[in-house]
Amino acid sequence: MNENDPSIIRDIPDFLAHAIALEFESVERYQELADSMDVHNNPRVAELFRKLAHYGELHAHEIEHHALGIDLPEISPWDFKWCTPEGPESGTLEGVHYMMNRRQVLEYALCNEQRGRDFYAGVAEFSPDEGVRELAAEFAREETEHVNILKSWLLNLVEPDSVRPADLDPPNIPE
Amino acid sequence: MSGKPADTLLKAKDYKSEVKPVWCPGCGHFAVLSATTKALAHLGLPQKDVAMISGIGCSSRLPAYVSVYGFHGVHGRALAVASGLKAARPELTVLVAGGDGDGFSIGGNHFLHACRRNMDMTYIVMDNEVYGMTKGQASPTTSPDWAESKLTPHGPGVPSFNPAAIALASGATFIARGFTGKPNDLAKLLVDAIQHPGFSFIQALSPCTTFRPDQNDWKKIVRPFEQEATDDPVEAAKRIHADDGMSTGLLYQTKVPVWQPERSVRAQIDQLELGFQV
Amino acid sequence: MSDELDPGQSSHTLSVAITGSGGSGAVTAGEMLLIAVANAGFYGLMGRSAGPQIRGGESAVMLRAGVAPVECLDDRFDILIALDWLNVSRFAEEIPLTRDSLIICDPEAGEIPPDIARHGARVVELPLEALAKGIEGGRTNMIALGVLAELLGIPEEAMLTVVDAKLARKGASAVVPSQRCISCGYNEPKPQQLRQRLPRIKDRPARWNISGNEASGVGAIRGGVRFVAAYPITPATEMLEWLAPNLERVGGVLLQAEDELASVNMIIGGSFGGVPSMTATSGPGLSLMMEGLGLAVASETPVVVANVMRGGPSTGIPTKSEQSDLNIALHGFHGDAPHLVLAALNIRDCAFTTEWAVHLAEALQTVAIVLSDQFLGQARSVTDPPPTAPAGPGRRLAQPAAENYQRYTLADPGGISPMAIPGTEGCLYTADGLEHNERGTPSSMPQDHQLQLEKRRQKLTAIDGGEHWAEVHGSGDLCILTWGSSSGAAFEAAGRLLTMGRPVRVVAIRLLSPLPEQRMLDAIDGAVRTLVVEQNHAGQLFHYLHSLNLLHGEVRKLAKPGPLPIRPGEIVNAILEWI
Repeated sequence: MNENDPSIIRDIPDFLAHAIALEFESVERYQELADSMDVHNNPRVAELFRKLAHYGELHAHEIEHHALGIDLPEISPWDFKWCTPEGPESGTLEGVHYMMNRRQVLEYALCNEQRGRDFYAGVAEFSPDEGVRELAAEFAREETEHVNILKSWLLNLVEPDSVRPADLDPPNIPE
Repeated sequence: MSGKPADTLLKAKDYKSEVKPVWCPGCGHFAVLSATTKALAHLGLPQKDVAMISGIGCSSRLPAYVSVYGFHGVHGRALAVASGLKAARPELTVLVAGGDGDGFSIGGNHFLHACRRNMDMTYIVMDNEVYGMTKGQASPTTSPDWAESKLTPHGPGVPSFNPAAIALASGATFIARGFTGKPNDLAKLLVDAIQHPGFSFIQALSPCTTFRPDQNDWKKIVRPFEQEATDDPVEAAKRIHADDGMSTGLLYQTKVPVWQPERSVRAQIDQLELGFQV
Repeated sequence: MSDELDPGQSSHTLSVAITGSGGSGAVTAGEMLLIAVANAGFYGLMGRSAGPQIRGGESAVMLRAGVAPVECLDDRFDILIALDWLNVSRFAEEIPLTRDSLIICDPEAGEIPPDIARHGARVVELPLEALAKGIEGGRTNMIALGVLAELLGIPEEAMLTVVDAKLARKGASAVVPSQRCISCGYNEPKPQQLRQRLPRIKDRPARWNISGNEASGVGAIRGGVRFVAAYPITPATEMLEWLAPNLERVGGVLLQAEDELASVNMIIGGSFGGVPSMTATSGPGLSLMMEGLGLAVASETPVVVANVMRGGPSTGIPTKSEQSDLNIALHGFHGDAPHLVLAALNIRDCAFTTEWAVHLAEALQTVAIVLSDQFLGQARSVTDPPPTAPAGPGRRLAQPAAENYQRYTLADPGGISPMAIPGTEGCLYTADGLEHNERGTPSSMPQDHQLQLEKRRQKLTAIDGGEHWAEVHGSGDLCILTWGSSSGAAFEAAGRLLTMGRPVRVVAIRLLSPLPEQRMLDAIDGAVRTLVVEQNHAGQLFHYLHSLNLLHGEVRKLAKPGPLPIRPGEIVNAILEWI
């Protein structure tokens, strides 16, 4: 057990503060990626990232609703008890590419949702507080639903391969 | 942390501007943007009292993406602009951002003198060992055998520049190395750097997804320094030279008087002019 | 300068030179004499020249005193007093002598060098060293000072007072022997018919004893400059040395930068922070600063550069004057970069022009380069106190919480957009040297480039510098066009020509860019012959005015490079040969 071990989340306010940060950080990452794909002229992927951000935001507000009336602790970014470099549901920086397609976006999002689910599942299993364990289990179930939704989107996606196309042009020299 | 009520506190995303970055998706610099906004939010610094200065290069686009006052100057001179600003407006929090080419090649002399002048500012260099804006040439931190640039078909052939060693030798009072794969640790380093009285230098290892895809492997070899930061320059020098440049965290911090001239009006102009009267 | 010139002598001035090798005290004697000249109620001008050695080299001081303002050295010297003859030949061209000149020297110092003797000047031998040795702690330079002051007609008491004031901090052991030497110099018998005297002055109005570099510093502080960053360079360093302690007294800061690239960018930073900022340099430094100055133009950050010109190109002749940086000041930028170029016309004018430049740069949010030169910068003048420049409107600042603030807005028809300085609520922006849109966001769109170029041009074309753009004197169909330190010689030449019945008008340009073209056309209206006078090899002003298509009628140039100054007699001759 170390200081970043989710099992030491001991009370509901601490847990909710983590959950809210996890969701909003993930949303902000999707928004940033959507903007970035706009800039890089990949509008369909931008649109998909924006959609992911939208659903994430809805979920984040639901969790905020849970927290109404509860005095949440202020946690510095580096004091969160993640097992990941950032919030577990945040997409990694290096996992994206300007020519990525929608299948790759969904695979990327799937990984993110699975990490989110794993985080909640870990808390549900190991937190010393029964209330935290129950709430985490509920959140883990919701994340599992998200994982399943993403899987079904992937199945239905008419975008066959996930091989990145070659860029036919050399890089630009902006400055 | 500021004692303001929670609803007036700025969140990290409030320190992001509406300008969309031109950086390639996957670029490490996004993590520096994220770490900067988190650090500023953590410190609760009013946006209007922070200025971020940069030169030219991919990383030097950062000021426009942060919701503070910014100055995007010419190649290599960010530290000079920042020093002038800090001398003129000591009450501002001054951040300087740039890349390895901007800071260590064309701006190398200013780096030496900013370290030794020890003005109270924070300098973050996004080091990806390559010039991205001009299509991937070798920079001072590129290894001698990197032969991917047309400009140096056999590799630069000269030893790479060791930023931490140079900073230490030049008198920097806060030397740290971060990694964009760990944005929250980077945010913590930035907070410590901003709070450090004097010149604080952070080398942020920031992979270039376009010209240095090999740097995606950095996440496998980057690790924290084994020891706590030292305030002994001899010990710090030993650690720097024993390291492969991939250890991260605060390496060296010491307290030395900050150079900040006192500004008070003690005379009027006509009193100065008396000296010329005959 | 040849002996047969008879350029119409200027009345009521006397020119003296003191030479000596290192440590002989020629410079100290000159400085004391200048103060005594001031105390006696005269105007004065004192230049210096020296060998290349850091210490121990030969020195010359050249002093001209008169009853009217003295703004240039004369064509010839009335008196040369030599403390010794070691390597004095190097000054032969700088200290032109004629048969009417007087050489005072010590026979023990050896033969007069041929370059000095060839003019046939009268020689008076005085045992300067022996006289000094006769006084305990006596110095040859103080004997010479007494001799010279008596010849000029300065009351002995006034001279002794100067010594007292100058040496008081060294104590009586320094003051008493020096005063005895001076009295000895006064009392030493001299041939009466050689005596040169200035008329007695009854009133002694308040005057200043100031160098051009110091005057530029005064102008900067008057204009509101409170931040200076600079790198030492000859011949601008004295401006910085004066500014460092004096800025501090008025609540400002001077920062010694690591190089000129740093100094220009530091003042950009200071000015971005809202503090009027300046640097001082000379040609090589200005060359290094050009990229930074382009940034200041593009980001619309006001800065002032005081450039004290020296012989160029490259390291050139650092210790000698030349007006050869006009081209780089006007055209050194890459891209279309409208900015201000001004030039001080004399030592006193360094204060006015620098102050005015600060006001203009602040009001127009652009770069002002102020040209002076080694002669103006390092020479000292006893002059009337310099006037203050007309106050400008100051920098146009953004109001806190401005709605939809755009740093580079085109909304103002004059092109001057409000500048938000850090600390202003609600006006966050990033200044940029990349071409940008009104908001400041980098843009390579043709429309943004066109509009921002027009904005930056418009600010400058809209200004009216009023009558200060130039000093215009005289009338007639002969015209002398000049700038900078050549103006003194031009005005004196015009005065001499007038006494010869040849009226000449002189236009000495202070605001070189943007040049107020209509005012220029009015000033030279009716000129049939125009002589463009400047101290450089190429005729930089001549070509600039041609490029603006402002010169009409017959036009000639009198363009002479440094290190020798343009003297009034040369201009008189050039006009007389022409008409």
